[in-house]
Amino acid sequence: MKERISVDNNEKNMISSRSASRGVAQAVEASDRVRCLTGIDGLDNILNGGIPKGNTTLVTGTCGTGKTSLGLEFILHGAEEEEVGIFITATETSEKLMESMIPYDFFRPKLLKEGKVEFLSLHELYKTAGISGPEIDSKGAASLIKAVVAAVKKRKAKRLVMDSVTSVCARLSTEDRIREFITGLSHALAKEGCTAILISEVPAGSDIYSPYGVEEAVVDGVVLLGNLERRGDLLRTLQVVKMRGATHSRAKYVLDLTSCGVLLAPLLKGGG
Amino acid sequence: MGKLQEMPPASAIALQMGAKHYFDAVRALLDVFAPRKHLHSIYVTATIPSKSIISALEVLDVDLKRTHFVDCVSSMMMGFSEKDEGAVYVESPTMLENILLKVEFLIRKLDGADSVVIIDSINSLAIHNSLKILSEFLHILINHLRSRNAYTVIFAMEEYTTEEVENILSLVCDETVNFTG
Ligand SMILES: Nc1ncnc2c1ncn2[C@@H]1O[C@H](COP(=O)(O)OP(=O)(O)OP(=O)(O)O)[C@@H](O)[C@H]1O
Ligand SMILES: [Mg+2]
Repeated sequence: MKERISVDNNEKNMISSRSASRGVAQAVEASDRVRCLTGIDGLDNILNGGIPKGNTTLVTGTCGTGKTSLGLEFILHGAEEEEVGIFITATETSEKLMESMIPYDFFRPKLLKEGKVEFLSLHELYKTAGISGPEIDSKGAASLIKAVVAAVKKRKAKRLVMDSVTSVCARLSTEDRIREFITGLSHALAKEGCTAILISEVPAGSDIYSPYGVEEAVVDGVVLLGNLERRGDLLRTLQVVKMRGATHSRAKYVLDLTSCGVLLAPLLKGGG
Repeated sequence: MGKLQEMPPASAIALQMGAKHYFDAVRALLDVFAPRKHLHSIYVTATIPSKSIISALEVLDVDLKRTHFVDCVSSMMMGFSEKDEGAVYVESPTMLENILLKVEFLIRKLDGADSVVIIDSINSLAIHNSLKILSEFLHILINHLRSRNAYTVIFAMEEYTTEEVENILSLVCDETVNFTG
């Protein structure tokens, strides 16, 4: 219907709004740790200038709450800023994930062509690490960390997403191994200056942060995605539960998944 | 209308009118105020479906190329069948946060172009929301739009405006303008 709104003129807006949040980041850097701007303005504002560089953050929520979308956007915005990002996928194929990037206004095919965005299947990493059986022992976990870090080093990646870490945890079977794996991975990635998002899947209806209860304790940050029912309306929400090295709001925000990426608005309280 | 034209960007204005002047007011905003100031209009309707407004204005030959609708009534009234691709939809006028998000979405799509956001109307929103949450919503919306240098125009229908609604308007708006045709 008529011209109304064209989709392709968004580049300037994204840049201008992002240089605004960069100003925030610089102010923070002076007294605080260097930040990794997620490029999601609302989230960077909640974090007062992005995720502290090298942090490993658990992005957790029940199915369909936007975890994969948030991870893809984090990688894409990094690529725009010349930071190589690796997206490790357990279930969805890289073709499917690439396709889901295309509708974003800020998507540029050259980011893929230039190798700024790299998809790796978890299955391939298991093979590289010599993991074959359904269970991963301590040795296997150490090899898996090595395989991930090798991929990061090879591409000089500054961002990494693992979608999901829950599928690895399921094969590690014990809490000790899970703790060891996540701690080992996050330390190794921090050493490479790589900021990571580990996606955690929790069953519907639960109010836990992770299925094994260990994950949230050992990571640097926890971002909780969820649904909120308010008098019959269902709202998508986002809440930063913790973030080491940053002062942040712990309030709930309402989230929308759009072709401009994740948008956030404060949850209205209405005095009740 | 003269008083409205004089308001500087980033102002928040309550536009008070009798029901009989409703379409004249809509037309004056979209066909006179916005074009003169080279503004895009983001029209948030909680009163009648965007389709009905569009049809009525097309009959009056109003150019709607630079008008973008946030429709908060159609989904509630008739589900998903009567949708227009020129509008974005909010499921219900009680989802005030989603109105904030859709307005922000359209502003981003406008790529920094100057705009006016029209809320039609505070009375319709007051039917579905408590006055507390409504004033919180307007406060956040107006502050956000000010930071983006956009105008906010809030419709208030004389017939339905209670003292409480008037209080909210005088609290959040810079000016009340009476539209008399
Ligand atoms: N850019 C977008 N615009 C509109 N809707 C979107 C967008 N991105 C995702 N969605 C919708 O949101 C839903 C959830 O997105 P997403 O796949 O990111 O969630 P998830 O938490 O990873 O889900 P799962 O638990 O299945 O892995 C999708 O079903 C999709 O329809
Ligand atoms: Mg997913």
